[in-house]
Amino acid sequence: MSVNLDDLLDGLKSGIAYFPNTVKLVFISLFIAIIIGGIIALVRFYNVPVLSQIFTVFVTLYQGVPTVVALLIYNLLFMSCMNDVFAFFHSSKTIADVDTLWIGIFALSLNAICSVTESIRGALESVDFAQNEAGYSVGLTKIQTIRQIILPQIVPVTIPPLTNNVIGLIKNSSIVSVVGIIEVTQGSLIPSMVDYSFFEGYLAAAVIYWAFSIVVEFAAAQAEKHSGKFRRTI
Amino acid sequence: MSGLFSWDRFTAAARQVFPYLPVTFEIVAIATIGGIILGLLVAFVRLKKPPVLYQICTVYISFMRGTPMLVQLFLIMYGLPIFINPIFGLNIGRTWDKIYFAYVTFVLNQGAFLSSIFYTAIKAVPIGQIEAGYSVGLTELQTMVRIVFPQAIKTAIPPFGVDFVCLFQNVSLVFSIGVIDLMGRANAFGSAQGHMLEGYVFVAIVYIIISFIMRIAFDWLNRAVTYGKKAKT
Repeated sequence: MSVNLDDLLDGLKSGIAYFPNTVKLVFISLFIAIIIGGIIALVRFYNVPVLSQIFTVFVTLYQGVPTVVALLIYNLLFMSCMNDVFAFFHSSKTIADVDTLWIGIFALSLNAICSVTESIRGALESVDFAQNEAGYSVGLTKIQTIRQIILPQIVPVTIPPLTNNVIGLIKNSSIVSVVGIIEVTQGSLIPSMVDYSFFEGYLAAAVIYWAFSIVVEFAAAQAEKHSGKFRRTI
Repeated sequence: MSGLFSWDRFTAAARQVFPYLPVTFEIVAIATIGGIILGLLVAFVRLKKPPVLYQICTVYISFMRGTPMLVQLFLIMYGLPIFINPIFGLNIGRTWDKIYFAYVTFVLNQGAFLSSIFYTAIKAVPIGQIEAGYSVGLTELQTMVRIVFPQAIKTAIPPFGVDFVCLFQNVSLVFSIGVIDLMGRANAFGSAQGHMLEGYVFVAIVYIIISFIMRIAFDWLNRAVTYGKKAKT
């Protein structure tokens, strides 16, 4: 039973110093995922010919790939091809000019798109389809109906599954340390490298992630309450 | 850019990597069986609310849900020896194969996630069903086994399926603590050959296929357990 509190504290300090990287990984990916995932969900819900099928196949297949495997493949492709791509566009940039954080964001976004789109699609299906028809009947166009009638109704329904997606994303974001991006997990370990106190280092990382998840869950509960204000309840 | 991917290397990697698939299944099987037992116990603690145990379970579930799998794996790998060594005098950090740490982590992790699934499923059974059980003279245990479980399983199967596919993907992380599974082998073989991509692509394909099969299987199971329920018309 030898948990060294000083080491734990060092780990916490160092981990928090790299916390912004984790925040970037999570929230940039989430932002991308909500926009693209939302579009994919709408395309699938309104059964836009061809596109709908393509997205369905993509989402179904991509959900089967573990994040680590995807991340390692992207990292490898990036390392071996990016210079050629830059050369192709006659850009003077090289790999060294690109922050590796973006590889992590790319992999996490693709992963998040799949889970977010399913959440949004589930919420879309929870809205009575007659709401669409009601919108058309008062002369709104399809876009107007989606924006003014459907979206406000799906927001409170989407928040609980979306919170789960964000928590999943936070946890997945630790995986990027496998390709050497320094975020909370790797950051907390920096002091451990000196005296092999890896347990304390990982414990510090766990504490930071745990706190982050709890805060996000709390914020989401508030947001859900707020966005559901218009609903009449008994 | 040329020579990035070759089918010859792909088949070579496939032949090397595929035999390690059972390792993944082994971890998944042990995690699921252990997780179901642990999950049921924790779910009952949450239902019965015994003083101290209840708080411990709440913290345990919150921790397992709030921290990344990767961090949990390393915590167990470095932490378990620290706690076992002074008590039992065993240095499991040296003597245990890395895969045992993976077993422990995944059982603990699944215990937390499955307990939430079981808890909500049991809660979803109307209280009238339990009272009906008591009224015809069944004991508490009998009511649980004969009345509540058969109904709770129906609610539990869909989230269980999602969790199972998730578990299967999470197991791919064990290579980071040094267990040789699909990914670990792809890594080792790839570095020996100097070409990693083919191995990774093969692993990705295997995961896609198995996840797909699992999802179809759970869809089928979902339909199979709709017993005792009139179909909605």
